[in-house]
Amino acid sequence: MSDSIRRFSTKQVIEHLVLMVLFIALSVTGFPQKFLSASASQAIVNLLGGVGVTRLLHRISGVLFTALVVWHLAGALISIVRRRGQLSMVPTKKDFTDALVTLRYYLGLSRTQARFDRYDYRQKFEYWGLVFGGLVMVTTGLVLLFPVATAKLLVGQVIPAAKLAHSSEGLMAFLAIIIWHIYNSHLSPDVFPFDGSIFTGRISRERMEKEHPLELERLEGTKEGAPRGRG
Amino acid sequence: MRVTVLPRLAMAATLLATSAWARRDGGTEPRDRTEDKACLECHSDKELETDLDSEEVLSLTVEADTLARSVHSDVDCTECHTDLKGKGDDHKPKPFPTRREFTIRYSEVCKDCHFQNFTRSLDGVHHGLQAKGKTEAAVCADCHGSHDMGKPSEPRSRISRTCAKCHEKISKVYIKSVHGSALQEEENPDVPSCTDCHRAHDIIDPRLNAWRLETPQMCGRCHTNEKMMAKYKLSTKVLSSYLQDFHGATIELQKGAGGGKPLTALCTDCHGIHDISKVDAPNSKVMQANLVETCRACHPTASADFPAAWLSHYEPTLKRAPLVYLVGLFYKFLIPFIIGSLILQIALHLWRVVVNR
Repeated sequence: MSDSIRRFSTKQVIEHLVLMVLFIALSVTGFPQKFLSASASQAIVNLLGGVGVTRLLHRISGVLFTALVVWHLAGALISIVRRRGQLSMVPTKKDFTDALVTLRYYLGLSRTQARFDRYDYRQKFEYWGLVFGGLVMVTTGLVLLFPVATAKLLVGQVIPAAKLAHSSEGLMAFLAIIIWHIYNSHLSPDVFPFDGSIFTGRISRERMEKEHPLELERLEGTKEGAPRGRG
Repeated sequence: MRVTVLPRLAMAATLLATSAWARRDGGTEPRDRTEDKACLECHSDKELETDLDSEEVLSLTVEADTLARSVHSDVDCTECHTDLKGKGDDHKPKPFPTRREFTIRYSEVCKDCHFQNFTRSLDGVHHGLQAKGKTEAAVCADCHGSHDMGKPSEPRSRISRTCAKCHEKISKVYIKSVHGSALQEEENPDVPSCTDCHRAHDIIDPRLNAWRLETPQMCGRCHTNEKMMAKYKLSTKVLSSYLQDFHGATIELQKGAGGGKPLTALCTDCHGIHDISKVDAPNSKVMQANLVETCRACHPTASADFPAAWLSHYEPTLKRAPLVYLVGLFYKFLIPFIIGSLILQIALHLWRVVVNR
């Protein structure tokens, strides 16, 4: 595997895997509750053994998702405090110029494509979308799990507002994954049929040169900076 | 006068001779009353009665006036008393052990003409109890009467009075309710009588989960009727708003998944059943001032503001539920914007790939 490069740590591979399983579980148990009249909704609920079981599975998955979010953010915080790793997910000014350069390139206004570092602006956008969306889902989910306590601490109206936010945010996340994530990791001509790097942890040198040239240069010390740890 | 076997041969002969043509023939010609007259000759006697094994006394009196007023005024005696057809006046007293047994057995003859409703009643809760030996459960004659048979729903309030004969306690609650009082006092044609919810013949045990889970649709039959609700300035969105909310969604999915004990509140859990009142009546369970108590039936530790979690069947508006309205508005713009942008990016990317080839 001399022509492949390690891109993701085992921790990151496992985190993605757990996230994927939980996302599917939450979608399968969540949408039948939102789209009642769809015949598939009732079929799913029946298959799982009724609305009680469906909700229990949704809540268990939600609690596990919350644990994953806390685990991930705590890990990130610790590495920031210890000044280890790089803040490769933090959006920079370059991401905005990269987005503009890419847009011009796509529209045929320019022949140069932006050169990306470890994560390009699309990946950062998806990451932060997941983080903020996840936090919305966790907080609104907790409100719905503890409505009586919520009405005591805040006001009653927070409960239907949380319900609407939970179901809308969930729909948006689902659509984003189905459309954007599936395109970028499966259907895009660049990776078709399947980008396995998040599962194997490795990426081909060829793709690194094309998709993350700045990181490759840094890793190999060909340009500024010495090899760095993974972020 | 006790029934004794006093053969009156002349009368018997008349009956035998007339029974062949005494039946209605299309109803155009006036019915021959010979048979009635023959029966009433004895049975109009106000003291005609018989002793039963149970030592109860069964009156055998039939008043001509009562018969004439009944809906069955053109039905011959032996169409119901089939075993006496052609028997004349030499029939023996029939051996019924109790008065109740007499009523139950005689209700079976209704099947001959009223086959459909009779068959329906076999699925009803009353018949189920009869089959278990609970002889006090209602049979045809208990609700409809016998010789004095009238139209059961004329006037409509009669229905509820009929049920009240046995279900007295519930009836007392019902006639004070918004539905019951309008029926008893004004003969209101819109409010439900007992049978509108419970049905008349195939009455289902209202404690059964399958029946309870149908409550929203049952109430919805009237409460989504635009024309009827407009008369009383009531919203027809009550069912759809209920189903959109957590309680209603749960019940819907539960019903589709084979039932079980209702997991969340049904219409009746908040509004009451037989004691249902106008939503703004001082004693209404869903009046703002009383609402938290109603919530506490299921959410015992609910605080004073907990009822605000329920939008009272209203669509969220900036005025009524600003937080909910704004969250809705936010996502109404955010979702198309984000998803649209992502699709645009994909389209541009694909276009570039194609152009670069």
